[in-house]
Amino acid sequence: MLKSFLEGLDGLTLECEARRGQACSLKDLEALRVEFLGRKGKLAGAMVALAQMGPEDKPAAGKKANEVKTALTALLESRQAELEAESAQGALAGFDPSLPGRRPAPGSLHPVTLAMQEICEVLTGLGFEVVAGPEVENDWNNFEALNMPPDHPARDMQDTLYVSENIVLRTHTSPLQVRTMMSRKPPVAVIAPGKVYRRDSDITHTPMFHQIEALLVDTNVSMADLRGTLTAFVRQLFSPDTKVRFRPSFFPFTEPSAELDISCVLCGGEGHVAGAPCRVCKRTGWVEIGGCGMVDPNVFRQVGYDPETVTGFAFGLGVERVAMLKYGIGDLRMFFENDVRFLEQFS
Amino acid sequence: MFISLQWLREFVPYTGTVQDLADRLTMQGLEVEAILDPFASIAKIVVGHVVDRAQHPEADKLSVCTVDVGGPEALQIVCGAPNVAKGQNVPVALMGTTMPGGMEIKKAKLRGVVSCGMICSERELGLSEEHAGIMVLPAEFKPGQLLVDALKLEREVIEVSITPNRADCLSVLGIAREAALGFGLPLSMPKLNLVEDEGAGDATKVVRIDIADGELCPVYRARVLTGASIGKSPDWMRYRLLAIGQRPISNIVDVTNYILMELGQPLHAFDRTLLKGDVIRVAPAKDGQSITTLDGAERKLLGSDLLIWDAERPVALAGVMGGANSSISDASTEVLLECAIFRPGTIRKTARRLALPSEASYRFERGVDQVGSLFALNRAAQLMAEVSGARVLKGIACAEPKPWADRSHIFRIDRCNALLGLNLTPEFCRTTLTGLGCGVDFPNEGADPACWQVSSPSHRLDLEREVDLFEECGRVHGLDRIPAVLPKISKALDSVQLSDTEFGFLQGLKAWAVGAGLREAVNYSFVGTDDLDRLNLPVEGRIMIANPLSEDQNVLRLEIAPGLLNNVRHNLSQGNASLRLFEVAKAFVADPASDTSARENSRLGLLVHGARHSQEWPWEQGEADYLDAKGLVENLLTHYRLGSADYVLEPGHAYLEPCVRVELPGKNGPTLIGRIGRVQPKIADAYHARKDIWLADLDADLLRSLTRATKPVFKSLPKFPPVRRDVTVICPATLKASEVEAAIRELKPKLLESLALVAVYAPEGSPERNLTFRLTYRHAERTLVDKEVDKEHGKVLGGLPQKLPVRI
Ligand SMILES: [Zn+2]
Repeated sequence: MLKSFLEGLDGLTLECEARRGQACSLKDLEALRVEFLGRKGKLAGAMVALAQMGPEDKPAAGKKANEVKTALTALLESRQAELEAESAQGALAGFDPSLPGRRPAPGSLHPVTLAMQEICEVLTGLGFEVVAGPEVENDWNNFEALNMPPDHPARDMQDTLYVSENIVLRTHTSPLQVRTMMSRKPPVAVIAPGKVYRRDSDITHTPMFHQIEALLVDTNVSMADLRGTLTAFVRQLFSPDTKVRFRPSFFPFTEPSAELDISCVLCGGEGHVAGAPCRVCKRTGWVEIGGCGMVDPNVFRQVGYDPETVTGFAFGLGVERVAMLKYGIGDLRMFFENDVRFLEQFS
Repeated sequence: MFISLQWLREFVPYTGTVQDLADRLTMQGLEVEAILDPFASIAKIVVGHVVDRAQHPEADKLSVCTVDVGGPEALQIVCGAPNVAKGQNVPVALMGTTMPGGMEIKKAKLRGVVSCGMICSERELGLSEEHAGIMVLPAEFKPGQLLVDALKLEREVIEVSITPNRADCLSVLGIAREAALGFGLPLSMPKLNLVEDEGAGDATKVVRIDIADGELCPVYRARVLTGASIGKSPDWMRYRLLAIGQRPISNIVDVTNYILMELGQPLHAFDRTLLKGDVIRVAPAKDGQSITTLDGAERKLLGSDLLIWDAERPVALAGVMGGANSSISDASTEVLLECAIFRPGTIRKTARRLALPSEASYRFERGVDQVGSLFALNRAAQLMAEVSGARVLKGIACAEPKPWADRSHIFRIDRCNALLGLNLTPEFCRTTLTGLGCGVDFPNEGADPACWQVSSPSHRLDLEREVDLFEECGRVHGLDRIPAVLPKISKALDSVQLSDTEFGFLQGLKAWAVGAGLREAVNYSFVGTDDLDRLNLPVEGRIMIANPLSEDQNVLRLEIAPGLLNNVRHNLSQGNASLRLFEVAKAFVADPASDTSARENSRLGLLVHGARHSQEWPWEQGEADYLDAKGLVENLLTHYRLGSADYVLEPGHAYLEPCVRVELPGKNGPTLIGRIGRVQPKIADAYHARKDIWLADLDADLLRSLTRATKPVFKSLPKFPPVRRDVTVICPATLKASEVEAAIRELKPKLLESLALVAVYAPEGSPERNLTFRLTYRHAERTLVDKEVDKEHGKVLGGLPQKLPVRI
């Protein structure tokens, strides 16, 4: 009896081994498990005989039954692992990494803002602080305090949009120099970014554009400091080998005054690109980006500073000009059309 | 202004190239904008010799000429001019030449006779208005020679942009001074060869000068010429004027222009027979009087205008334009030549008010050399005598109530070097200053050797202060040679500010908008009144531009919307159908209390239009609506920790419908942050938008001040789990979600931590909709048991139908 019991159990193992391969799904396998290991399954059926065995046979039969249970379980589990691996592989085969993602709408800054932020970042890094002021300005702040008395030909340099006889749309950010010095004692190190307005509209002028003004006032500020600041600035803004050129000029509120040129960003100052004349600098190797100079003593007098004890420099940059150079924008008027195909290029 | 190199070389022996000169002048502060060939358009015209002339067989008025143009064979040219004759030298346009007017010369048949070129008149060459016949050239010219070479026309002219401070450079002389300075060359003035004719009389006896106010006219001189014969100026003078863009008129007038261009001194020639009495008076106009200027226009005058009077009436608008009653005509023989200095501001005011800018007024308003004016007068008189055959009376009628006074300044070389950041030597500075024409006085023994007295020359009116001399030293040394030194930027402790500047806040705001998937637009601050009218915006408070460039740029933006709406129109016209835009910019409202008459308010405008998402899979398709615009605003308020706002319908808005006020509740009542709304369809139509335009307009200044007042405050994380219960409220479709929410809160269920709308079900066409709220209950110190939550939640379930017309 024991012998046939033991053989029967071995037969179960063999049968399970033979049939488990036919289970092609987890569902089939579960049915197989129920058939062999279930409460009413084949192993359970064999165990009925165990209960009727005499005490001398029981230990050997019980041990064998346990071994078979373990073996059956192991057989079924290994098949389950195989099936799971197969199904995971099946699922991966349907995974398509090339489908487009659920992309949130992309936003973008206007190129003027991009250039402005970059300029401000570099200058604040050098120690300047940002100030802001009104765009509708009175004549005194915009002109008179800046050494441009009424009926002075220097006023011809800027075509002005007037609100009334004494109120203008600021023609430059320089009134911020006046406003800052009127409200602070030296030392002063500020930059003033913002919109400015001129009565001028053609292919290279728009009636509104953006400037950044910088002002440094302290004891003993020299034009070498101005050049140093500008050199550091343009190297960071454009590239480390960008050069600065001072070309003598005239602004009523600085003395001496200079136009601020930098070596051409396209041709690197060579004047030509691959043998062709450079379209950015028109062969000169230089491009103008703004004006600069030492604060005129008359401006200091107007704001109550003593020109014998303080000196200072100021410079102003055209932001659109910088943006055009940095991003290669050819047409100034595109800045204010706000065509999204233009805007999205600055994402 | 235009300067011819040939002319310049009469003052300075410059032998270099025009390009080197241009570069040098530019780096001295005289920006050369262009190098031009003024006669480029006739550069290909050649000298031809008329070997033979025959009558055209078919036409009386045409001649058939055989013209030697230096080539192996003479050309046959048909010519219609009456004066063409055998043996003449004439200008010939060969086949293939393009004439100044643009016409190309081709081989042609004129009434059956072949013509291989054209014999030109002066007008055809742009050399004068003469066109009665062809231009006849001097006999010594060689056939085949280029006309421009034969006539010695100027081929090199530079266009210099002169800054307003450099009045002294508005002449050949001025530029020559700079060239001399730049290249270390001597300057030589033209030799004065004036012959006074004692027999012709004494100018001081003939006319007396009377100046009312020396401030307005520090000096007035006049010379008198007699027996002039008015006619064409000599070729050299005409060509020279032509080369710099001046139209020759007649010999006397041409001389005044020539001297103005050469020496920078404006002159005026009167026909002396037309002047009444023997006095020239310089005195202001009477308010309301008028004068007819020589262009024939009658000019109404103010008391601030300065006039030149004869004994009876005004004869010229001083420094601006002569009068019609006394100008030189072809019949004139007697000339009174005026050479004066006028107060710059006075001339500028008059010239600007009357919109009469002239070469003369341009120079007077910038300042003319008072000392140099005498030379200019004498040279002009000499040239007039030479070109018109006039005799010059002895003497100069003159009044000089305010003679030129030397201006002297101290010059401290150490300050000069400190300002420029250079180490200029005393020798260099002295050479430079004397080179500029300054007088330099060295200090007496015992005085500070580094403090000089420097007087500036009369032609440099801009050298008024010590700092102007510093600039000159720097300019001559080369501003571009200043070394670069990075300064140490020091700051005063009491000027240290909060870090959140206006600029910084607005940049942060832009960064938020970019993160929210919006594209930044930048629009002009001005729009047209039409743009504001279209949006029914009030007329009151508008800030108009007094001198707008155009009607669509004549008023400042009252709100941010007009610019963004124009962007909608532009983009739709370009086929960009879906828009998510933002703009941060100022709105302007008139405010009499402001020192600039304007109140400026930074606004944030958000605009969504068209498809909500990208048109690509896997996004669901849908048009942007209120919830998109509102979601942006809610996200923004969360971004700035401003909590949740109330969204209140505002009927009757100027251009939005619906219009929702965004109000932040506060102790002192709600604060209006801005508005969200849909642009009224009729208005949207005007911008060619067929879909809804949703707009939010928020006060960025207010956001900034509110944000400044809030700080993140840490709260401990909850230790015990929450219990969540949902309630679905069946309510009339007209009942607002916010009303249900408020009613739930009014029932004050204890332990309620938060309340959120989680589902809205609105069956099509039903008068009702279902709102499902999720209530989260939590106790801070222990785990809740179901029973106590049931009790609180029961209050809500029971209470709601009593407060509102709803079912649970
Ligand atoms: Zn270049």
